[in-house]
Amino acid sequence: MTITVIALSVVVLLLSVLVVGLLRSHATILRRLHELGVGLERDPGTAASASVPRTDGSVPSPPRDVADGRPAHDIVGVDPAGAAIGLRTVDVDHDTLLVFLSSGCTSCEDFWSELAGHGTVDGVRVVVVTRDLAEESPSAIRELAPDGVTVVASTAAWKDLEVPGSPYAVLVDGRSGRLAGEGTGASFTQVKELFLRSSHDHGGKAGADQRRERELDRVLLDAGLGPGDPSLYRPPTEPR
Amino acid sequence: MHLESHGIAADLPPGWEGSIEVERDRDAVTLAELGGVLRPVTHLGTFPLPRDRGDFGSGAVDVMGDEDAFVALVEYDPSEASSELFASRGLPRALDPRAFSSEALQRQRGRQAGWQGFFNEGGRAFCLYIVLGDLDDVHLLARKVEQVLAGIRVEVER
Repeated sequence: MTITVIALSVVVLLLSVLVVGLLRSHATILRRLHELGVGLERDPGTAASASVPRTDGSVPSPPRDVADGRPAHDIVGVDPAGAAIGLRTVDVDHDTLLVFLSSGCTSCEDFWSELAGHGTVDGVRVVVVTRDLAEESPSAIRELAPDGVTVVASTAAWKDLEVPGSPYAVLVDGRSGRLAGEGTGASFTQVKELFLRSSHDHGGKAGADQRRERELDRVLLDAGLGPGDPSLYRPPTEPR
Repeated sequence: MHLESHGIAADLPPGWEGSIEVERDRDAVTLAELGGVLRPVTHLGTFPLPRDRGDFGSGAVDVMGDEDAFVALVEYDPSEASSELFASRGLPRALDPRAFSSEALQRQRGRQAGWQGFFNEGGRAFCLYIVLGDLDDVHLLARKVEQVLAGIRVEVER
């Protein structure tokens, strides 16, 4: 009898050890599956890989030299007085808002008057671009030219940037050398709001927000911190 | 980027922009109204040149950064070309960083350093005025200016 009890106890003990081992193994599997995103609730249509950051640092960084938007071009032309002017808009630290206007377009009248004193807005250089003086009224351009704002006559710029008409505005991201935005508006104030200040139209981000985001991305990438870097998910209080 | 006007041509290296126009200082304009001739002024910079600026860069050097450089090539009357002041021949292409100082600036500002030289080329008289953003970085900035000077051509006075 005693021998039987001892034998059963050993069997029970062994089975207990086996069960505990199986439970631990199961827990490990569940934890790994959870890390991979299995079982999480997602919005319909959301890709599994996009919903959970990978924390093992294995996500490759995006290429740094590929940017959104059409390529921009530097502006070469003459000012209303006939001086040769070359303006750098590409591969520079500053952004440039090119405002394409004509002397004869009635929609441009408010732009000409509003632009006075706005050579720089929120750190963005503002430049008025007309067609070549041979295609414009030079005297009218001289009269309309707003104080403190560079005016360049350059049909080549209109062609390079495929400007459909006037008034038209193009925001050039100086670092990437790409167009960060383009379009028209009823006034320069509206264009400013559209490109340079907060605008929640179309669910898009304001240009200033985008610039800040790009700058933060650049700083992080320069520091060697790419997408999925484990340090990005470390609690701020945790010592490094 | 290529600029050409008033018998001066400039091929600008990346990062540089500029203009070639006639004098804008009030005294020169007043003299021109009395029958004088407005001479060309070439401005080159590694930063966005503001619309309103003086012939020697006032208004522009106020907004340039520590890593920037500004160049003004101001022409004088050709009759001055044979004078002692403009006796040096040819646009300086090589710069001595040690020659730059804050004392050479038209108006001292921050850590900026300047240099100016007078010369004749093609029977024309010029002053070359250079402002560098940081006195502590003159060696690097002077090399940057040499790159843009290498692309400047002056036609013979006709």
